[in-house]
Amino acid sequence: MIQRLSTTLNRSFKKTRFKIGLAISLLVIFLAIFAPYIVPRPQEGLGYVPYDAEAKKLLPPSTEYLFGTDLLGRDLFSRVIMGARTALLQVSIVVIVSLLLGLLLGVMAAYFKGLIEVLLNYFTEIFMAMPTIVIALVLRLTLGHGIHVTALSLILTWWAWYARISYVYARGVVELDYVILAKLAGLHSFKIIYRHVILNIIQPLIVQAITDLGSVLLEAAAINFLGLGVQPGYPEWGVILYEGVFYGGGVEVFTRAPWLIVFPGLFLLLTTLGFSLLGDCLREEIDPQLRRRWHLWF
Amino acid sequence: MTISLNYIFKRLILAFCVVVGVLVFSYVLILATPGDPAVKWAGNPRGPGAVKAIQLAREELGLDKPIYVQIAVFMYNFFTGNLGYCIAYKGQHVVQVMITSFMSTFELTLLAYVISVPLALYLGLYSALKRGGIFDNIVQSASVVLASTPTYWLATLLLLVFTILKISVYGTASPRLIAETGFNTITGSYLLDSVLQGNMQVFVDSFLRMIPPALAISIYPIGALTRLVRVLVAKSLLEDYVKASIALGVERGTIIRYFVVRSIIPSLVQVSGLSFTYSLIDAMVVEAVFGRRGLGSLLIGALNTADFKIAVTLIAFIAIFYIFVNTLVDILQALIDPRVRL
Amino acid sequence: MVLAIVMENLKVGYIIEDEVFWAVKGVDLVVEEGTTLCIIGESGCGKSTLASAITGILPPYALTDGKLKLYDRIVISGQLRNYSDVRGKITAYIPQNPGTSLNPFLTVEDHFYYVLKSNFKSSRDFSKKIAIEILSKVNLNSSVLEKYPHELSGGMQQRVVIALALATNAQILVADEPTSFIDAYLRLQIIELLGRLQRELKKTLIVITHDLLTTSIICDYIAIMYAGKVVEIGPREKVLRNPRHPYTKMLLETTPILGAKKQLKPIPGEPPSLSKEYQACLFLDRCPYKNRECHSDPQVQVIENSHYSKCWKAREAPWL
Repeated sequence: MIQRLSTTLNRSFKKTRFKIGLAISLLVIFLAIFAPYIVPRPQEGLGYVPYDAEAKKLLPPSTEYLFGTDLLGRDLFSRVIMGARTALLQVSIVVIVSLLLGLLLGVMAAYFKGLIEVLLNYFTEIFMAMPTIVIALVLRLTLGHGIHVTALSLILTWWAWYARISYVYARGVVELDYVILAKLAGLHSFKIIYRHVILNIIQPLIVQAITDLGSVLLEAAAINFLGLGVQPGYPEWGVILYEGVFYGGGVEVFTRAPWLIVFPGLFLLLTTLGFSLLGDCLREEIDPQLRRRWHLWF
Repeated sequence: MTISLNYIFKRLILAFCVVVGVLVFSYVLILATPGDPAVKWAGNPRGPGAVKAIQLAREELGLDKPIYVQIAVFMYNFFTGNLGYCIAYKGQHVVQVMITSFMSTFELTLLAYVISVPLALYLGLYSALKRGGIFDNIVQSASVVLASTPTYWLATLLLLVFTILKISVYGTASPRLIAETGFNTITGSYLLDSVLQGNMQVFVDSFLRMIPPALAISIYPIGALTRLVRVLVAKSLLEDYVKASIALGVERGTIIRYFVVRSIIPSLVQVSGLSFTYSLIDAMVVEAVFGRRGLGSLLIGALNTADFKIAVTLIAFIAIFYIFVNTLVDILQALIDPRVRL
Repeated sequence: MVLAIVMENLKVGYIIEDEVFWAVKGVDLVVEEGTTLCIIGESGCGKSTLASAITGILPPYALTDGKLKLYDRIVISGQLRNYSDVRGKITAYIPQNPGTSLNPFLTVEDHFYYVLKSNFKSSRDFSKKIAIEILSKVNLNSSVLEKYPHELSGGMQQRVVIALALATNAQILVADEPTSFIDAYLRLQIIELLGRLQRELKKTLIVITHDLLTTSIICDYIAIMYAGKVVEIGPREKVLRNPRHPYTKMLLETTPILGAKKQLKPIPGEPPSLSKEYQACLFLDRCPYKNRECHSDPQVQVIENSHYSKCWKAREAPWL
């Protein structure tokens, strides 16, 4: 498996798209880790309002304030850069938890079959049908503000997606001869058989997870954008947009201060783009079908 | 094209079971989230009418009865449309509010798809035919960027641009016009209602206001469907029957127009159907940005008035729509794809 | 005597990831109009490529050299290929797998319509009439017209595909392994059908196959291909009874004949790789009759009128 990984990476490196995607992703990760140290006003980034706030409200971008200031006088640049940390945290927790949960359930259903299989398919159908944003609303009404609302609502919908694809992949592997042989040889230890099955499907799953990072980010930001997740002032790209469009702002506000919406959205776009390019390239490499020659008769 | 009623029947039964599961889960949400279910259902009321409202909610939910009866009652009420009054839009029935809001969001998403599907077909087809060329590279790059753009951000930018240009695109229709021409909402779909009332001014006005949000929503389907069409066309051109037809002298134009396009329609319909429901949710957020009436505004309203009832009903409603579209698309697949033998 | 097909040192290769694999390494062949030629060889010997070259379905990443002439039209000249007004007009292709070669979204009637519309600009009604006529020639009822390909059996599909080729009214028909996807008991029927049609309609028929036994019934001439070259070609009886190439002889010995008790001797070894250039005779490694002169590629030896062989020992034939 490790060998396959290195050849996949080698081939991927030849493409420009991969390089761009990797560059952007690494940049975002870098910003996420080092944000508080490289940003001029980390306190304002965290949401604290500066002392002389009145004078500083809604200042346009300048050398002092690279992205301008927001409605309460905070440095937008600090807020946005520190938002990278929130973005990555949100997204990784959601994807990792959903992936693990879905993987476990999906593999169990494919391996043990019978009732577990039927139940899993049933629940997957139910949860994939439900809109994340409205679940976020329900959670917001009962749990109040917080990043946990965003994370929880996303996990509640995305686990089903990973359960479904884990199940489909695992179904293919479970029928393989060496797995059946392992079963017949009396390998009771579920762990050993799980290793056979799980190791086989982990690679496409991870590639899928990388591609999904972008979609999850956009959904998470959407939830925060509607005021259903984190509280205003938090360093999160979606909620900065929320402040500009709904909370204190409105059409009159952001038409005069467009930097409020341009920068957070731009970062959302770039981060999602980076992950998508990365995931797409990896997916092309490991999917044997997509690598076929295309010869067209015209 | 043979289709067995057996298949349709099975799909419908399956769909019904899933719907039941959704409703059960919705009810679980009412009971399991922190707080007294009755208080939540009543919408956290304060002030003089509070106690009465909570008591009413307790009766509506039937909280004193055993749990399976509660769930049964809830489902019965849901199917008969008997869900009480909405807090967010005072005085109207929940069901009525749901349907009118849904119609408005639906027509917006429909417009977005009317724009994006033909466009995606065209772009995907020609980028596959001219594979590797400049057109292809531009389309491919653009698709990835489009698919990574947050729809609501784009919507906000569009609103910004139009407002600066002093073109009024906010809201579903001009309030002045509505007042002047005496327009009433019947179904919730402004286009439909204005036609029904013969009110052409409102028709044109609401149609124009629909265009920017529809453009924002169409970004995702354009990106996703173009890539799909491109792959499908390439696969289709590799088929043996295309090779055999060329060898028999069938012309290139005929092959593209009749063989290739015809062969990608089933998959295209299926994916479009599924992504429509996704776009519906996208549309909700865009609506909120543009201040239009619809499920998005309903959501915001429910947030501001703590209308728990609407929130839970909305989950069930949207989930049921999703299941409905899935089932419809599956059945449609069986009808239009002669290879699916039932 | 009109020559329907003329090949002069025809070479066809495929460009795969910057390398060229030569499937056809220099074939000289002529086919008289109104005759049937069977091209026989094992998998990978280049016979399908030859069929694609004649019918005009070489992929864009194919490389050619030499000359291919159909009647008086030059379709391949060096690296240039020109098949305009050839496909469906001069040549018609009968594909190997009728199941996948028919469009699953179209009825049989639709198939005829599109083929006839492209070649003759005919209307729906006219094409329907022609379809019924031709289908009867292949022993198919007109009820087949409204069926979809997956609703037909394998034998019926094959006959539909033959009928479509006939509908083009092309003079040269190329059947690519017409029996490989047919059940054993139907193979003879299909082959006899092809033979009968060829005689009735006076077409030039090329049959590509590895099944020497069944197809030899309808051939006038047999060509044996090995590793991209034609090693022997001649009239049927001569080649079968008097093979002048060791490969032909060994091929005949591997073919079981019903009723005859004989020991089947498989040919040891494998065909040479397509990508390398060889100076020696390509059959060298597997040939039991080799000696020193075989290290240079054999010239064509004329045995008799229209019987040729590419083996230094063709005239002596120590294997007979």
